[in-house]
Amino acid sequence: MISCHRLVKRFGTVTAVNSLSLEVEKGTICAFLGPNGAGKSTTVKMLCGLLAPTSGEASVCGLDVATHPLAVKRHIGVLPENLGLFDDLTIAEHLLLTARIYGLDKQQSQARIEQLLRVLDLSDGRHTFAGHGSHGMRKKTAFAMAVLPNPEVLFLDEPFEAIDPATSKIMRDLLVAAAARGITVFLTSHILPVVERIAHQFVMIRGGSIVWNSSAAELPGSLEDLYLELAEPPVSEELEWLASGQS
Amino acid sequence: MARVRAVLAALITAVRRDLKSVGSFSGNNLFVVGTVFLFLGDPRAFIALTAVIGLVLFIPLSADPLRVLPPDRMAIWPLSTVERGWLRILSPWLNPVAWLIAALAVWKHVTMGLWALAAGVFAIGFLLPSLPASRKGMWRRVPDFPGPLNQLIRKNLRETLSTLDFWCSAAVSIFSLGFRAAGPIPAEALLPMTIITMLAISTYAQTLFGLDGAGGMTRYRLLPVAGWQILAAKDVPFLLLSVLMTLPLAPAAGLAAALAALTIGHHASVTHHSNQMRWRFSSGLSFGTSIFQVVAMTATAAAVHAIPLVIVLCAGVYAWSTWWSGRVMEQQPL
Repeated sequence: MISCHRLVKRFGTVTAVNSLSLEVEKGTICAFLGPNGAGKSTTVKMLCGLLAPTSGEASVCGLDVATHPLAVKRHIGVLPENLGLFDDLTIAEHLLLTARIYGLDKQQSQARIEQLLRVLDLSDGRHTFAGHGSHGMRKKTAFAMAVLPNPEVLFLDEPFEAIDPATSKIMRDLLVAAAARGITVFLTSHILPVVERIAHQFVMIRGGSIVWNSSAAELPGSLEDLYLELAEPPVSEELEWLASGQS
Repeated sequence: MARVRAVLAALITAVRRDLKSVGSFSGNNLFVVGTVFLFLGDPRAFIALTAVIGLVLFIPLSADPLRVLPPDRMAIWPLSTVERGWLRILSPWLNPVAWLIAALAVWKHVTMGLWALAAGVFAIGFLLPSLPASRKGMWRRVPDFPGPLNQLIRKNLRETLSTLDFWCSAAVSIFSLGFRAAGPIPAEALLPMTIITMLAISTYAQTLFGLDGAGGMTRYRLLPVAGWQILAAKDVPFLLLSVLMTLPLAPAAGLAAALAALTIGHHASVTHHSNQMRWRFSSGLSFGTSIFQVVAMTATAAAVHAIPLVIVLCAGVYAWSTWWSGRVMEQQPL
């Protein structure tokens, strides 16, 4: 469902993504993990057709992302890193915009929007302008926009960060159910215990290159240990001035 | 008092930055034209156009300096009630308009009525950002438009209404309406007044995405719609407001000027995403672009005023510009 072959993205002299090759099957939840600046968001942007790769090929739903960007966008739902919301639209208006643009009929969109607002606990804030909403509210809105058109593939950039535990569970359950029905989910996250619970495939990236790619069954031990070993070895330094009695 | 001094020092920095943003009017077409008049030896035209800009800037400039501190941050800081009181008393004096009002109060040439008017407008500007309606979004109720881009058009209308360009144009339009109500406007004045009304709002056509931010641009690119549709959704409120504001004057010439402003402005809008601020004047891409836009607007408005059918040609060129700039937009990297 998602396929990329020797994908490269360079910004000047910096190589953000270096010869990345990857296959994600239909109905799979793929966790794309790595430290900040590893190239996760750049990869997601390339797969969504937001950024042209320097070289290499990528296809989503069998469509080449570089040559058919508009067609790809009709098949995918995206929760972008910066959420992609307009300050001058309310939560409900964002969902109405999505419904109309993806061609949902009035009845269908009404029913889906009401359900999403209810499930994601956004009903009370439906008339809040996105510019005035909390970060959690904004993230839930962007998630609802991604899900609303019932896409074949979901690209979610850090969906579980900065949301309350109840909503996180609801989103997890939604994603698991969606994957069981054949929707492919490609997500990035730093919350390893959550992704460990739901993902079927784990891909780790460091410095733009893949350092691990396996199914959940092939993980050698805990995801966190593997991640800290391969993707982001921790820096340990003590702050002696903490609790030293001096302000 | 050390804490009060620290907060005031932070406020001074914030106010200074805020005042810098006021300078955006120097890149506005109305000011550019005023400057050209000045160099052509007509200082009265420069003063008249600058006075309109100054009048429109007066209210946002009067805003309470303390508003720049997030209320949550203020609540967290360990400040006593007395220290908060001092901040409330001292902070308005960080606003240069407060000093202007004080100076007017002691200047003998200013009548009590004029001072009261200035002080009243200052008070409105000072309190306006704190009103619940402002904080929750002033333009909640805007009309619906037909078609799938309805919500985008509504959003764009709200954005346009949050620029001083619109209000400057509205001020000229209201003045024209008043002039018209008092008696017939001489026929030869209709076109120049229409052009001035349109000049006031035209810079916004160069910065159509200036209020959308990075998140907005990402969303536009994720939507499965063509670039020209996104641009058209931007243009609809601009065209509607342009016709509305030139209704007391020469609406066909106003529409032609609006089409010309957008035709020139599209390319700058899609290739240079300069962030604009709400309640400030839009700043154009460059002096050259502004002059080009002003000349195109004036020429097309004059042509349509003389031969109304020319508007068909204007619409054709505008349509081509929308399609072409839409294509450019689709290929822009994020």
